[in-house]
Amino acid sequence: MKYFIFALTALLNINSFSQNKTVAVGEKLIYTASYNMSGLLTDIAQVKMETSEIKTSKSTLMRLKCTAATYKKWDNFFKIRDLYESYVNPKTLTPYLYKRDISEGGYYKFMQYTYNHKSKLVKSLKRKKKKDGEIWDDEKTVKIGASTKDLVSTLYTIRNMDIYKASPGDQQNFTVLFDNKETIVNVKYIGKETISTKIGKKECYKLALSIKGSNILKGENNNLLWLTADANKIPVYAKFKIPVGNGELKIISATGLKN
Amino acid sequence: MSKKPFIILGFITAILAVVLAVTPLSNLAIAPIIVAFLSGLIVVFLSKKQNTKTKTTQYIFLLVIISLGLTIYKSVFSTTEVGNTEQLELRDEENLEDSKEILEAIEIDEDF
Repeated sequence: MKYFIFALTALLNINSFSQNKTVAVGEKLIYTASYNMSGLLTDIAQVKMETSEIKTSKSTLMRLKCTAATYKKWDNFFKIRDLYESYVNPKTLTPYLYKRDISEGGYYKFMQYTYNHKSKLVKSLKRKKKKDGEIWDDEKTVKIGASTKDLVSTLYTIRNMDIYKASPGDQQNFTVLFDNKETIVNVKYIGKETISTKIGKKECYKLALSIKGSNILKGENNNLLWLTADANKIPVYAKFKIPVGNGELKIISATGLKN
Repeated sequence: MSKKPFIILGFITAILAVVLAVTPLSNLAIAPIIVAFLSGLIVVFLSKKQNTKTKTTQYIFLLVIISLGLTIYKSVFSTTEVGNTEQLELRDEENLEDSKEILEAIEIDEDF
């Protein structure tokens, strides 16, 4: 059964090797994250998604960077300064290096994955700060599937899917490496919807996201993502339900788009 | 009808409203403000009916006014600007430099 599921996932993931037609170097998307409590929305943090070009002596890579920072009024209360980055092949969005450097209200964690796609191995490095300020490292080697990616590159890969070919109800699975574990994220295409955003009224693809074997995201159709139904497929709006309430992610600005 | 439950309810919600109004979650204070105000009104109405005087209503209204004032002040003057991100930018740059070194060392296969 396990192998069957694995084979199915691998088959479904063939699409993820497709060429990048969506994400440009120099793209910058800015969002506001808000938390909903008993019907009242409170703006909590600003989320940025940026891409840039990185040149090494042998090749050119694309850096996908996501940062989250709480607004000033929250800083004394619960300060978040998160950094997620992934260095990918600009043509296929295959990751080579992933870093997660988070600082949330005094809690600090650093994760680094170095991929070796030939041997299907990931060298993972976890760095945590103890209460007395001492830093300790934990190194591991994790075996991954052929299409396993990290969180950041998966987000961009979802954008790169050929959604125009899909019909409502179609699903695709993505394998995401998170905290040294492979997790399957299911993306379901629900249909088209026109919504008004800060960057104008947009026709969007509505997608439902769910994580298999986890209850971080509640419900099947409660975690939604709206991507513009054009060649850029910008994520303009997201709604998610977590055990302690629900939240929203709204776009403020989008610059440096490809098409 | 007894006034006591309304006095207790009014007090609890009024204090809750003040506490919420002080925190960054100030717009959540609106609900307890309304409840406290209504129970205050009921207490006034009941004491008029029973021809008794209650001082507690004054306190409830005072707390309601304080929290309402704070909430309105915060919603008018609050700016949604990001705080100091210097530390984040520093970490960003450090990571970028470090990543360049790592990427230089690993073999990048263009086929994948």
